[in-house]
Amino acid sequence: MSNIVNVSQLTKTLGNVRIIDDVSFNIEKGEFLAIQGPSGSGKTTLLGLLAGLEKADDGNIVVADKELTSMTEDELAIFRRYNVGFVFQSFNLIPTLNVVENIALPLFPEHISRKIMFERAGEVAKAVGLTQRLDHYPNELSGGEQQRVAVARSLINAPNLIFADEPTGNLDSKTGQMVVELLRKLNSDRGQTVVLVTHDDRIAKESDRIIKLLDGRIVHEN
Amino acid sequence: MFYYAIKELLKRKKLYLLNVMTIGLVALMIITLNSLANAYREAARLPFQDIQGNIIIQRNGNVPETTSGVLLSCSLAPIPQDLVSQISKNDGVKDISTALALWVFDPDNFKRVSGVDFHDNFGKTLAAKLIDGSIPSTDNQILADKTYAQKYSLAVGRETTISGRQFTVAGIVGTAGNEVMASDIYLNLGAAQEMAYQSENLQQVETFNKTDVNIIFVNVSQPDLKTVTQDIKVIVTGSGMNAGKTPLGQTIGGYNIYTPESFENQISTIFRISDKLTWVISLVLFVGAAIIVSRNSLRIILERRREFGIMKTVGFKNRDIQIEVNLETFIQILAGFFAGLILSSIAVVVLSHTTVSIAIPWELTAYPHFLLSNPSEANVTQMHPLPIGLEPLYVFASLAIIMAVGLVTSFLSVWQINKFKPMEVMRHE
Repeated sequence: MSNIVNVSQLTKTLGNVRIIDDVSFNIEKGEFLAIQGPSGSGKTTLLGLLAGLEKADDGNIVVADKELTSMTEDELAIFRRYNVGFVFQSFNLIPTLNVVENIALPLFPEHISRKIMFERAGEVAKAVGLTQRLDHYPNELSGGEQQRVAVARSLINAPNLIFADEPTGNLDSKTGQMVVELLRKLNSDRGQTVVLVTHDDRIAKESDRIIKLLDGRIVHEN
Repeated sequence: MFYYAIKELLKRKKLYLLNVMTIGLVALMIITLNSLANAYREAARLPFQDIQGNIIIQRNGNVPETTSGVLLSCSLAPIPQDLVSQISKNDGVKDISTALALWVFDPDNFKRVSGVDFHDNFGKTLAAKLIDGSIPSTDNQILADKTYAQKYSLAVGRETTISGRQFTVAGIVGTAGNEVMASDIYLNLGAAQEMAYQSENLQQVETFNKTDVNIIFVNVSQPDLKTVTQDIKVIVTGSGMNAGKTPLGQTIGGYNIYTPESFENQISTIFRISDKLTWVISLVLFVGAAIIVSRNSLRIILERRREFGIMKTVGFKNRDIQIEVNLETFIQILAGFFAGLILSSIAVVVLSHTTVSIAIPWELTAYPHFLLSNPSEANVTQMHPLPIGLEPLYVFASLAIIMAVGLVTSFLSVWQINKFKPMEVMRHE
């Protein structure tokens, strides 16, 4: 199977602290990868680098055959729109938009009609079981529902990669498990590569592979 | 993006209300203050409507020692025809009218008598106020003011005596007592000049020639008003114009030149100031609004930084977010502007129901104080509805200033948004 992510000798320093220290690894297409490590080990920074949200100081990142380190901010934005979906611990939904609008958010900068936009969002909402909640606003939803909206939003452009940063961190274990199952289902049904950052060993065990980080270095990989 | 902007503004309307209110207030102040200043400027022209001119020239005269017979309306001095000719040569002068205002102290009553050329502009304006009869066709005919005619039972065809001479009433005019040059009797200018020329009492006070007048009405197109007024000032202060002595040995008086500006100064000092300080007021409003709106907008942007972080994360370019925020600013600007425009329209309608009082200078409606039962009756005031309207110029000016506020706000907002690093925003949860 071919690689969707190739990382080599990646380094990122914040102030005097080397957050990512000479990290190299690959991710295969369709893989469900978990990244684990204690707080401050560099997990979120690594995710940011892979998504082009942070600039690397040194090294190379190739995602979906695109070299991120040489891309401009605008090119990276377009890259994220079509290649990367994001799911965060705190859901990060726009409070003034309802479910269908939040799901359609990545389509807003595109010049497509609202009808088409919301039709596509409705289809994705169906895939994550949110068809009854399309008109609701984030503050009217449970934590699990909000996270499903976030997952649906990450799927709207059918990206190659889904980055999930502690997606179960703000959920009870049962709801967290349902969200992981949803990600796992998307991975198996749609073949989308999922990179999951988690503290939770039980969730990490459901992945195809685990990378463990400590002080910005990969200390274990299986 | 427009849809998103509308949703944002409606869902968080309390946050944006301050901006809309500030912008509305700026529009209201700019439109209303300037329209009000303009209305007072227009009001200052209203007394000139009665004379079909916009410059009035008179000359200061001397006070007579006795009040009997025919005198020049106090305290006016004769103006030679030579001056009328010189002024009429000015290119900016559209037309010129002259009159002779007299006080006639007859044994049975006092009357104000005006000699008028019924074929010049002033005379035609007077003729338009005819309510009975016709304008005098001979020097023996007169027009009587309606109030005076009622008081002395004069009607068309009746005879009356002025300074010992018999005149027939040719017509009755309905002039208001507070008009410029309001008189009891109007007769041909030549007849009035002859009457003045023959008056011994008058000739003792001033040297009056047969063709002299004591009031000139000059009609000038509005753009030329300042230049022509200045030219006339040069003429009347020129050599020979003020030289000489009266028969009593007093110095011949200088000239008074009245323009709408003369009335502007007295009807509203505040709006005269505001008119002159338009640019300063506009600048203060612009700076004040820019500070309030920008600060509020930046505060909102800071509150929404996570939202912008999310947008960048899901693939919005900086430019997309800038467009979104600028669109929101533009909608607030328009909402505020239209709110201000509606409020201004209401203010203009309310103000149009108020009146403005314009005190007419004594010399333009002179009446002997000692003949009045109440001295305050001598103070002639015209009351006019305030001629205020919604001026398109000020509407556009307010829009331009508000747009400038919007541009400053957009610039600062864009600068603030560009500083956000999505990972920093997302990291601090």
